Amino acid sequence: MQPQLIRELEALLGPQAVLSSPEDLMLYEYDGSVELGAPRCIVFPTSAQDVSGIVRLANRYETPIVGRGAGTGLSGGAIARNGGIVIVFSRMNRILEIDEVNLRAVVQPGVVNLDLSRAVEHLGLFFAPDPSSQKSCTIGGNVSENSGGPHTLAYGVTTNHVTGLELVLTDGEIVRIGGRTIETSGYDLAGLLVGSEGTLALVTEITVRLMRKPEAVKTLLAVYDTLDDTTESVVEITVRAITPAACEMLDGFTLRAVEDYVHAGFPKDCAAVLLIEIEGLTEAVEAQAAEITDVCRQHRAREVRAAKNDQERALLWRGRKEAFGAMGRISPMYYVQDGVIPRTRLPETLRRIEEISRKYDLAIGNIFHAGDGNLHPLILFDERDRAQFARVVAAGGEIMRHCVEVGGALTGEHGIGMEKNELMPLIFTPDDLALMERVRAAFNPAGRLNPGKVLPMGKACGEIRVPPIPASAATRS
Amino acid sequence: MSRSAQASLSRLEEIAGGDHVSMNEAELRAREVCGVLPAVVVRPADADEIAETLRFAVAEKLAVVPMGGRTKLGIGSPPARYDIALDLSRMNRVLAYDPHDLTLGVEPGVRIQDLLGTLAEKNQFLPLVVPFLDRATVGGIVAANSSSPLRHAYGAVRDFCLGMEFVTGEGTRAKSGGRVVKNVTGYDLHKLLVGSLGTLAVITRVNFRTFPLLPAQGTFVATFRTAEEASEFCVTVSHSVLTPQIVEIADSGAAQFLYPADAAESITPRPWSVIHSVVGHSAVVNRHARELGRLAGEANAEEFQALDESGSVPLLTRIREFPQLVLNSAPSALIFRVNLVPSAIPSVLRRFRELASRAGFDFAALTRASGILCAAFAPPKGIETSSASSAQLVKEVLHFNALPEAGAQSMLEWCPAEVKRLAGDVWGPPRADLPLIRKLKNAFDPQDVLSPGRFAGGI
Repeated sequence: MQPQLIRELEALLGPQAVLSSPEDLMLYEYDGSVELGAPRCIVFPTSAQDVSGIVRLANRYETPIVGRGAGTGLSGGAIARNGGIVIVFSRMNRILEIDEVNLRAVVQPGVVNLDLSRAVEHLGLFFAPDPSSQKSCTIGGNVSENSGGPHTLAYGVTTNHVTGLELVLTDGEIVRIGGRTIETSGYDLAGLLVGSEGTLALVTEITVRLMRKPEAVKTLLAVYDTLDDTTESVVEITVRAITPAACEMLDGFTLRAVEDYVHAGFPKDCAAVLLIEIEGLTEAVEAQAAEITDVCRQHRAREVRAAKNDQERALLWRGRKEAFGAMGRISPMYYVQDGVIPRTRLPETLRRIEEISRKYDLAIGNIFHAGDGNLHPLILFDERDRAQFARVVAAGGEIMRHCVEVGGALTGEHGIGMEKNELMPLIFTPDDLALMERVRAAFNPAGRLNPGKVLPMGKACGEIRVPPIPASAATRS
Repeated sequence: MSRSAQASLSRLEEIAGGDHVSMNEAELRAREVCGVLPAVVVRPADADEIAETLRFAVAEKLAVVPMGGRTKLGIGSPPARYDIALDLSRMNRVLAYDPHDLTLGVEPGVRIQDLLGTLAEKNQFLPLVVPFLDRATVGGIVAANSSSPLRHAYGAVRDFCLGMEFVTGEGTRAKSGGRVVKNVTGYDLHKLLVGSLGTLAVITRVNFRTFPLLPAQGTFVATFRTAEEASEFCVTVSHSVLTPQIVEIADSGAAQFLYPADAAESITPRPWSVIHSVVGHSAVVNRHARELGRLAGEANAEEFQALDESGSVPLLTRIREFPQLVLNSAPSALIFRVNLVPSAIPSVLRRFRELASRAGFDFAALTRASGILCAAFAPPKGIETSSASSAQLVKEVLHFNALPEAGAQSMLEWCPAEVKRLAGDVWGPPRADLPLIRKLKNAFDPQDVLSPGRFAGGI
């Protein structure tokens, strides 16, 4: 990179806000995925004006720009695929306003997801999207990826909770879209921007909805001796139109790893469990809990038990949220997939994943958002075994193809990023993709903003990307 | 039409079939948009016919306005050009309904009322109880982003629409999203089509998630002396653990439409009333009855009344059809949809009332407590009001909304064509995001074929 650009960035932001030494850059080569990409320079803006200045400089030097929050993404969204400047939002981490009457918060993009919920807890409020990484991921990252989480079954994903954004466009202009009102007339630009994976504009301020904490929460654990009984229970809960706040499934393989790590009280000898949470008015929670227990028993659940208190409930959820970490204890590496299927296709899909696991001789754990059909198969591998890693990628691709065949989608919450952009033609026609290209070009005409993401580059059509070297830190989640 | 009308007609007949292309005077008149008549009506059978029609329009530089039940064509500016009325009423099939998955895929011409009937057979529904329910179609409701009282609990179209198929202004078929309830695959282009008023693409399929009907329902009306008290009551409820699915604030003007003297339920029209509707198990409804009553008392309500089914169903229907009731009584009424934050409700209503009274108009407002206001300005009965004074009032409302302190943003939903012509502009001053809007229009419809001039900024 031109030393002159570094000097100009330092003059703009101050030397403390620019990193360019090789050892510093290494820390920003990866995210939570198995991808890797080397940036040439890292900058830490503190305002939209800073971001605008960086964008203008990058344009002058024709250098790519990539926005980054905490780097917890799972599809390579924050990786500098073509090098260039990585804009890290960690110093734009202020909660600017809590509007209690209108149930809104205005935050900078670097605010950590859980910190917002903590800041409004005393008001009895919370921010609904709750990805597993919520202790570290940022709201800016959530906006880019349209993040979900277990409780999005009832509350919706990030896009359902964003009413307004401040953007820095690729020409450096600062513009506001949407606002604080629940709706904005005209084109829903916020709806387009949320989930655009940092390819359309840089987000410098976010207005989000805050939700009222429910009166009652009940967490059920249903234990099963067969996978089919477990998945059939999920189908039946959906069919009966019972809507729990969360409905998570952990298979026995994953469960044993989790239990050894977290000691949440999961039975280690079962085929799978469902972790089901019901929220709302006490009366509604009791009625729904009874219905769900009934469904689980009818499908031969060995046991259905309710968490007795908040502590027990927190422990069960810790088991769920730290499951990825637990897998890191039993395998050098894992590759987490993120597919979606219609919920009624769950039983056949899990059987198919079992077949794929046998076919490729790979251990695959399943821990996922069963209630909305959002799968997360975790394929374990050893990074030193290149032949094995090629099988991992092939198995991942086969699972994806199955999801598409049964009417599903390539990703439910992790994003396309640089992991699945070459798979996009499985879902979309050339005309669909050409229109998406045009929309990207309307915002990002030179293609310098987060290049090589979301849309296929046409190099390896229909394939998951095989990274050159699996990143050593890829087991983070 | 730039080519000879006869040649164009033949080509369109080739595309859609002779029975489905018409230049009949009455048919054209029925599809007038803000006083502008089309040259021809085309009723395509499927997306391919739409694509061919649009490619023909591009080649011949014709302008196309898509439409369904024609209940929302009053929104927006008169079209700058208007050759083909693209009537989607033949595309009225439910393409896929999987009640077990709670997902649905429909063509744009399906009437909302018919669809709700189909879903009810499986004990499900879509939260789209919109005005003109018997005529409104899916495509129109989506393109106009019509507001439903159920928005409070279930969100708007953008929140439960899973994906769409559509034809762009160049006649290219495309899609985004999908049929599953959680999906971040690619750009959410379908979200742009919600509320785009037919200016970006012609919608050919909409996928929704559906919702279960719940066993019991209760409706509660609390009356207040002031807007502040009514609004404060709503804020208190929104901060409580209660989970109503409908929360509406009616002023005295709206009360005349909601509580007619001959209604089954007897509610004394008061200056302000707040209607809550609750669904769930009966224990849930009973709990709301108790607590809403208590909170209403604490909020200084004059009366609190629980309605039985014979009172509740007609009241909820009148809430749904409020704009239609106003228009039946005053066909030349000006009806705005206003987005505002809940805390701004009393001040915005006060300002609107002032504007109405200064112009000598009657005023009626029904406000969804989450922040969507239906504001109706009607010339008083028996008094001749000139279109010029209506146009002046339109300008004043839009001017008020342009003030940063207003905390509100208005869109004119119903207005006589003549008033629109005199007002000149129905969108108000350009918003900061207009350049982005223009670029998106250009990405979808570079030849400006679809509904030209209908949208803000001449789009």
